[in-house]
Amino acid sequence: METAYFELNFRPNVQLVSVVRRFVTEFYQRFLNDPDGTSRVALATHELLENAVKYSRDGETTIRIELMQHETPRRVRIQLRNRSTLEHIAAIREIVDGVNRAPDATEFYRALIVAKAKDRTGSGLGLARICAEGEMKIHYDVQGDMVVIEATTVMGLV
Amino acid sequence: MSEVVSVTGDQFRGAATHEGSTRFLLYLEGTADYAALDALETLLDRTHAEALRLGVKEVVVDLRTVEFMNSSCFKCVLSWITSINELEVEARYRIALLSSAKHHWQKRSLQSLRCFAVELITVTES
Repeated sequence: METAYFELNFRPNVQLVSVVRRFVTEFYQRFLNDPDGTSRVALATHELLENAVKYSRDGETTIRIELMQHETPRRVRIQLRNRSTLEHIAAIREIVDGVNRAPDATEFYRALIVAKAKDRTGSGLGLARICAEGEMKIHYDVQGDMVVIEATTVMGLV
Repeated sequence: MSEVVSVTGDQFRGAATHEGSTRFLLYLEGTADYAALDALETLLDRTHAEALRLGVKEVVVDLRTVEFMNSSCFKCVLSWITSINELEVEARYRIALLSSAKHHWQKRSLQSLRCFAVELITVTES
């Protein structure tokens, strides 16, 4: 079986983020018998796209979501590409490197919640939430101001 | 039952009502995303102020029809809980979260909230 995927190249706004999340939910509900996994992918899609809305340099974002059906267990990979500010790229590095170094993503996320709770500006929780609550592995690649973030998770068996 | 505060957004709605002498019911509905952030912040700030003014002991938060909550809105709820935690012990009120098994995000997110303030928060799933 081949990898099933879709790719959207668009200029996201706040309203479109929820539209894409609902589309992703319905798409995977049709392909997978895994409501929890579908919810996790939808959560990650939403958080990644909202980051793109807030921090994209030129507004353009490409999101690609793949279902690797030939693998056992099957995996879903979300890839997001856009141009971002140096400040946001530094924030991505800090969070993703931190969560990947941590022995437990959930413990890292809960410590981050405590650290951010009194901070009234922004959230700073989205990427760590993807790893902890979305049970996904995150990696990034930076070339200049172009950022590629990949989030991968295992889906349930049908 | 009297209304304390309500907010209405494009795809989000929330209202707090006074139930009995010491309890508020905070009902949330829809999508708590970036577009709902200001409304949610207003709702929680005013609910908190009224809860303190009226000496409320518990706020029941009904999330069962919240389809999704993003990390910015989640953070807004965290700030509300932090405000309660910073009060003198006798002035604090408890938070009872009602969740739905239908919305899978709620199980993990509300567990994270409960871990943040285990002495203040209970979670009941239906």
